[in-house]
Amino acid sequence: MPGLMILIFFTVFGGALSATLNLPLPGSIMGMMLLLVLLISFRRVPRSLAESVTSLTPYMPLFIVPASVGLVTQTDLLMEHGLELLFILAISLVPGALVCAAIMRWGKRSV
Amino acid sequence: MMIWLENGLAQLQQQSFFWMAMTLLSFWMGQHVYRLLGNTPLLPPILTSFSILVGLLLILDTPYVEYQTAVMPLQMLLGPTVVMLAVPLYQAFAAIRQDAWRILLAVTLGSSTTVLVAVALCYWLIGDEVILNSLWTKSVTTPLAVVLAPELGGLAALAAAFILVTGLFGAILIPPLLKACRMDSPQATGLTLGVCAHAIGTSRALELGTEYAAFSALAMTLTASLFAFVLPFLI
Repeated sequence: MPGLMILIFFTVFGGALSATLNLPLPGSIMGMMLLLVLLISFRRVPRSLAESVTSLTPYMPLFIVPASVGLVTQTDLLMEHGLELLFILAISLVPGALVCAAIMRWGKRSV
Repeated sequence: MMIWLENGLAQLQQQSFFWMAMTLLSFWMGQHVYRLLGNTPLLPPILTSFSILVGLLLILDTPYVEYQTAVMPLQMLLGPTVVMLAVPLYQAFAAIRQDAWRILLAVTLGSSTTVLVAVALCYWLIGDEVILNSLWTKSVTTPLAVVLAPELGGLAALAAAFILVTGLFGAILIPPLLKACRMDSPQATGLTLGVCAHAIGTSRALELGTEYAAFSALAMTLTASLFAFVLPFLI
């Protein structure tokens, strides 16, 4: 079965399942979960799927462009809070990075 | 002559595929600029594409809704692309052999810390609910976040913008920060770049070395899936 078909089918199933169970998960994320379960139980990635992944991955950012351009509707908000947001985004990285690196280095000799 | 040119331009804009063409063109230009500059993490293709399109929308005085309707087919492909992320996630789980608990702990605590600090700061400084809800996904890879943000009461566009800025800051700040704190190593720096700065961090990690990149890609995938599976149930 071609890889793209697998992906589209799981998008459909995921959406249907998430809606049926009344879960707050977006359909595509449910589909991703289902596909993950399938891959884990098969213990391998079908070749057609691997090929689709290789060819689709470079285009991933392209599919995000339409949603990102929606930022033009938020100019007022950005004018008002833009600087604060830049500050928040920069500062919040520091504790996260330190926690993450500390756990990775904890108990290991320094290089 | 001028009138003829203006007419032609107006006709171009009326074509139903005009904005699809512009989106593809701008993305293609973004990819080329990115490659020309030696794959610099500081100018990802999406940033170039975004800037060109926003410029065009403003010049042609086109409302976003019109643009969004015209490029709906592209946006719809986001669904199957998100499903596709199961493959790298499966590969990531298969790839963790050593230090599995350490890696999972670092990813979970590291990503929660940076997001909670951002949300808390935003709550104190700004307090706007839509912004706050769009911040939860700031360290998640963008395709997932764009799907998640509306579910969390945020805006996909804001979430995408926060992620882009976080990625750029992270790619610039994290390697020197960890070096200054004497906490850098291919594993620690790579993982931190992936946790805090997702895809942009991973392209920065690629500049540092393959082991950095492997850990960054792993961390990015784990962080994104952790947030995708857990956040909708928490908020």
